[in-house]
Amino acid sequence: MKTFIENRALFLLIGSLILNLACASPPNTGRSIGNDSAATSGEVTIYVSQDRVFSEPVLREYEKKTGVKVNVVYDTEETKSTGLANKLLAEKNRPQADVFWSNEPVRTLVLKKNGVLAAYKSPQAEGIPANFKDPEGFWTGFSARCRVIVYNTNLVKPDEAPKSIFDLTDPKWKGQVAIADPRFGSTSFHIAALYTELGEEKADDLFRRLKANDVKIVPGNSVVRDMAARGEVKIGLTDTDDVNVALQDKQPVAMVFPDRDGIGVPVMPNMVSLIQNAPNAGEGMRLIDYLLSPEVERKLAESEAVQIPLRRGVEPPRNIPPLASFKPMTLDYAKAADRLEDVTRRLQDILGL
Amino acid sequence: METNQKQRSYFAKVYSRFSLRGLIFFVAAAAFFCFSVLPVVYMAASSFVSEQGAFSLENYKELLSFDERRRALLLNSTALGFGAACLSTLIGVPLGFLLARVEFTFKKLWRFVLLVPLVIPPYIFALAWVLMLGRLEPEIAYSLIGAIIVLGLCFYPLPMLAAEAAFRQVDRRMEEAALLAASPFRAFWQITMPLIAPVVSAVFLIVFVLSVAEFGVPGLLRVRVFTTEVFTAFAALYDIGAATALAVPASFVTLLAAIFAAKLLGEKTLIGRRQNLAAANSTRGVFRLALLAGAYIVLVAAVLLPILTLSSEAFAVRSLSKVVLDSAAAIANSLLLSAIGAGLVVVISVVLGYARSRAKTNRGWFADVVFLVIFAVPSTVVGVGIIALWNRGGLETIYTSQAIIVVGYLARFTPVAALIFGGIVRQIPHSIEEAAAISGANWLRVFGRIVLPNMKNGIAGVWLITFIFTFGELGTTLLVAPPGETTLPVRIYTLIANTPPSEVAALALLQIAVILLPLAFLILWRKPKKRTA
Repeated sequence: MKTFIENRALFLLIGSLILNLACASPPNTGRSIGNDSAATSGEVTIYVSQDRVFSEPVLREYEKKTGVKVNVVYDTEETKSTGLANKLLAEKNRPQADVFWSNEPVRTLVLKKNGVLAAYKSPQAEGIPANFKDPEGFWTGFSARCRVIVYNTNLVKPDEAPKSIFDLTDPKWKGQVAIADPRFGSTSFHIAALYTELGEEKADDLFRRLKANDVKIVPGNSVVRDMAARGEVKIGLTDTDDVNVALQDKQPVAMVFPDRDGIGVPVMPNMVSLIQNAPNAGEGMRLIDYLLSPEVERKLAESEAVQIPLRRGVEPPRNIPPLASFKPMTLDYAKAADRLEDVTRRLQDILGL
Repeated sequence: METNQKQRSYFAKVYSRFSLRGLIFFVAAAAFFCFSVLPVVYMAASSFVSEQGAFSLENYKELLSFDERRRALLLNSTALGFGAACLSTLIGVPLGFLLARVEFTFKKLWRFVLLVPLVIPPYIFALAWVLMLGRLEPEIAYSLIGAIIVLGLCFYPLPMLAAEAAFRQVDRRMEEAALLAASPFRAFWQITMPLIAPVVSAVFLIVFVLSVAEFGVPGLLRVRVFTTEVFTAFAALYDIGAATALAVPASFVTLLAAIFAAKLLGEKTLIGRRQNLAAANSTRGVFRLALLAGAYIVLVAAVLLPILTLSSEAFAVRSLSKVVLDSAAAIANSLLLSAIGAGLVVVISVVLGYARSRAKTNRGWFADVVFLVIFAVPSTVVGVGIIALWNRGGLETIYTSQAIIVVGYLARFTPVAALIFGGIVRQIPHSIEEAAAISGANWLRVFGRIVLPNMKNGIAGVWLITFIFTFGELGTTLLVAPPGETTLPVRIYTLIANTPPSEVAALALLQIAVILLPLAFLILWRKPKKRTA
């Protein structure tokens, strides 16, 4: 027969075990930090916010080429989940990832500000223009998308289509313009860029007038595209790759690169970064080198993502003008990132989000 | 002398019995504490810590100002939860009555079909709703009312299931006694309804919490509630502390609702044994017809319309077989992880539910409130808490493997399962346990031979509901999922961005189908019960 004492001892044992599990070992102790680039473990972990359909083939190709096992965590569309940036922030004290590949600048810049990233200047980054590289080396840009105006070709003739983002405030488009929720994803980048470029007063005014013009705020860029394709709105603001999916699907849409002569077209490069205290930093650097190679820029240009190569030598995608043919919006990325929180709050008030 | 010794050995027995029982309670409570409570407590505590590491109310500054924005959010969140809970109860309870007390053909099939909305993830339901009404009636489609209707239609199977079980368990002798003196209508309202009220109100609270914690539906239908605000803090501002602070109001509203319900109802139970009386004599005529007509309306609105809408959208998909084949690994993974997760949740929560129902009134009441409030914490906050607690040396084998997804399931769904078990165990008369104990059976034997067999159906039901919940879980899984193939919902959401709507619809239907198949098997192919007419 079990005695009371025995049971109580068992109680204490299990109790202390559980407490141990819960409270023991402060983060990141007694663990070697693999920052020496010589160490190759044959394994690398990458968190990817580039759409899985586009990024998976690139990473599988790398795996095939090098024999290095690539562990991948993919992100979801930014308006539908809280995403990988929060996972990286939460894991900051004990990182699991070696590399972060983002499909737009905002998340990378937030992570840099929070000390999640490490500096690494890849030798492969040479051909990439200086304005798409962090001077401190915390991120390097490659293959870019642009923010574009999408319109329904059954409802809008090409010569009538708006040429500038300011045209969207024209009363003739009242209730006919859709944009994605400007607090998230690539739209948030676009808005932060506009505020940096135009200054508070002009940008506030632009959004007040858009609001007065009954702009429709929808959950994501793909929704903007679908609404334009179905004719629920005549025009919308979205990304090049979103429009291309509809074009491939033979939907009645076309795109305009806005403000190519004025303030310039907003260009969003992919950004790749090494993680601070990455467990396999050496392998991480090798993977970054590969992602920044002309080969990957070409692959992404040829894919449905129609990403525009930042290098001059690489052929641009079909139906998309080369980077040299239009004026990109000049942008101080760090400044835009600092504005993010303020801009989010302003837009919540102006647009009633 | 002999009696004395007998008495002493009896007491020793009681002693060991109670400590064994205490040990099992303790292990279950400790598991609950580690998996569910600790991540939440950790997040709550860290929301009071500033970047410099000192105590700070910074994250609560905006919340405490309680300005117009915050007030509107609170109003919307409460209205959404209350509205959806009312609607689902109004639909679910009559349907439960129909299934329990009215005789009609193809009943099993009806029960199965009426359960379908439960396996349609609310977000997908909302997607179908937008496809149906977005263009025709955008004012209604994108509104609080729209969100209430969508969530009400999503969640009515819960009150339906609970009400059916309760109606079956009500002691028919009480009703028959009432019928001697009163009209059927009066007997129903004054005898039957009060007896099933505890079960109905418990499920009402669960639907309330599910709706208050739901993000996808208000997000898509552009209704501003606290969950969408939490989401903004995470996804737009990357401010984990502020996001956690914003989760507090929903928990607070839940707390108030739970206290209100507890005060209103006390500890009523509907003790009675299943009486397989012929049900046909209980309802006929106009009332029966009205119930059946209602069932048809619900069938069309909550099952046929959304599925047909998605199907017509999915019809345009270029290669359906590719969509299915590419997802095979994710489907297998999802089924396995959900089955394990639901099993573990049931094991822990059945003990918790038992302990809760046999506890002293105010302790049990406290446990209910804890279960509900923990359950109301947004999945994202739970996810970040799990990362903070489990991403550390020694636990790496769990954190870097699929096991961490199961940990997420345990964290999210143990509280709600324990709550339901608490209700189920209360329906088992204490007297049979006492009888067994006096006959000399130790507690484990009583629990294993008396309590568990008496709640066989309840255990199967809770496992099934937990399985459905875990299968659709997204918020926590997305954050904690390790590299490699994870679960079907995660796969769908990672593919959704640049996929044409037709393919998204096809994937949504796939997710519904994958979970409907085992459900169909369990419900339609169950061993036919012997009838005692």
